[in-house]
Amino acid sequence: MLLEINNLNAGYGFLQILRDVSLKIKKAEYVCLIGPNGAGKSTTLKTIAGIIKPMSGQIVFEGKDISGWPGNRVTRLGISFISEEMNLFTNMTVHENMMMGAYTIKDKNTKNRLLEFAYGLFPRLQERSNQLAGTLSGGERKMLGIGRALMADPKLLLVDEPSFGLAPQLTDQVFSSLDTLRQEGKTILVVEQNVTKTLSVTDRGYVLENGRIELKGPSAELADNAHVRKVFLGV
Amino acid sequence: MLNSYFARAFAWLKTAGGITVATAAVLLVAGTIDRGPYILVNTVVTGGMLGLVAMGLAVILGVLNIAQFAHGEYFMIGGLSAYYVIRPLHAYLDAHPSAFLAMVAPFIAMITATLVGGLAGAVTERVCFNPLRKRSRANWVMNSFLLTVGISVVLVNGDQLLFGTDFKGITHYWPGVVSIAGVFMSVDRVMTFILSLVIVTGFWIFMKYSRTGQAIRAVAQDEMGALMVGINLEWIMVLTMSIGCAMAAVAGASLLFMYPSYPTVGLEPLYMAWFVVILVGLGNVMGALIGGFMVSLLKVLTLEYIGAGWEFVVPSVIIILVLIFKPSGVFGSEVRSVLDQ
Repeated sequence: MLLEINNLNAGYGFLQILRDVSLKIKKAEYVCLIGPNGAGKSTTLKTIAGIIKPMSGQIVFEGKDISGWPGNRVTRLGISFISEEMNLFTNMTVHENMMMGAYTIKDKNTKNRLLEFAYGLFPRLQERSNQLAGTLSGGERKMLGIGRALMADPKLLLVDEPSFGLAPQLTDQVFSSLDTLRQEGKTILVVEQNVTKTLSVTDRGYVLENGRIELKGPSAELADNAHVRKVFLGV
Repeated sequence: MLNSYFARAFAWLKTAGGITVATAAVLLVAGTIDRGPYILVNTVVTGGMLGLVAMGLAVILGVLNIAQFAHGEYFMIGGLSAYYVIRPLHAYLDAHPSAFLAMVAPFIAMITATLVGGLAGAVTERVCFNPLRKRSRANWVMNSFLLTVGISVVLVNGDQLLFGTDFKGITHYWPGVVSIAGVFMSVDRVMTFILSLVIVTGFWIFMKYSRTGQAIRAVAQDEMGALMVGINLEWIMVLTMSIGCAMAAVAGASLLFMYPSYPTVGLEPLYMAWFVVILVGLGNVMGALIGGFMVSLLKVLTLEYIGAGWEFVVPSVIIILVLIFKPSGVFGSEVRSVLDQ
């Protein structure tokens, strides 16, 4: 088991969002977390990434209990978080952003290999490498967000709303790049509002409602589930 | 190629920053021709060090989001540390003359002051700001500002309690004068200017090319993004506070021959540095250097043409005008991109 979460409770200040969330991700799996607005999907990812401290519960990554670790140590361990709003360094160039992504990596050759891989995945970024990140279009920013996360050579990618704010065509592009990463052996946990699309590409899924895991199972089964169809697909 | 370079330079001259810099340059040249080269010399000597104090302020504001009103106290700490190092060294030199020691003694004092200032900054961050940050980020700018005011009171009164209220000054670091362009200047003033240039250049190279410097810039631009790529935020904050305070301390130390150390010596550099930071735009680090020279020029010209006692009034009026008409500072984002491009 690459990542195992047991009875996780988390929230902001006194406001508890997650209630006893448990989930498991095997190596090289492509897992999604779906649910209505405010269900706690992003909170789950942020808690795993170490941006929010959990109130209680366990987050075990590769056999290590990492609950309560600060974000920088979690990244160092091999978990890269791609937030909804990307959090790019807007006054740095695309290239500088990519190199900041490799902050935890000291070896030059590894850095170059990772950069080559990321630019291979998103040739558009290479074309724009000297442009300031703040001047990129929405789709390019998304690519840079994913590219920067890949520069840390992560074992597990946490992707928050890859389709957020993107045109349908660009959404397809982003999903196909995640597919490529998955074939490269990366483990991905994705949070999405676009339920139909997500369930058609992932292996397994969890349904989060009001901070609790209500349903789980293979994505194909979830797509056929009467509850899911009624709540998310409106049929 | 050269043509486009000129076109860009010309376009820049038409921006608010360009107009301000050009006006300052014209004023400087006119003043120098009218009253003599000492206008230029005085501007440049105090401007470099003022730029240094303002840069420390700007970097603390840009990275930690703290409106530092205790910055003058680190200037005071720098002067005080340098005083207690240089006095015994000078006394020793009087008894045992040595050309080499006379040359390096001021550097020993300044380096000690820098280290003490940096340490004081790091301790402040760990003891005061880190607990506040952990407790709550709500209303951070206001709360941290009030905290700096408290720190200032504690440091001023601490200095008074421990070291007394007398003026602790020296007549010189290095004895002697040099003549440049017909102006006689003490060696100290020349060295002070050179020192400020060396420190600023070093700081710029550090911020632009070193891994840690880039991490500081990353934190300034997006704190959460910095955490996501694996930057240790707590360490960067301690380091930034330390660097900012060390810059104020080294300025206090190297200007000890002009500003003898006493508890509230930091007030003037604090106000001047805030003038600079407001003039160039909050958090604009490289702009603060240019702004340092401009505010210093303003002060020199006011003293020369309007009279003593007005040197705070004229810059204040200009700051009020800047805040009314160009609240983001005269450089907006153009000069920031010198560092952040």
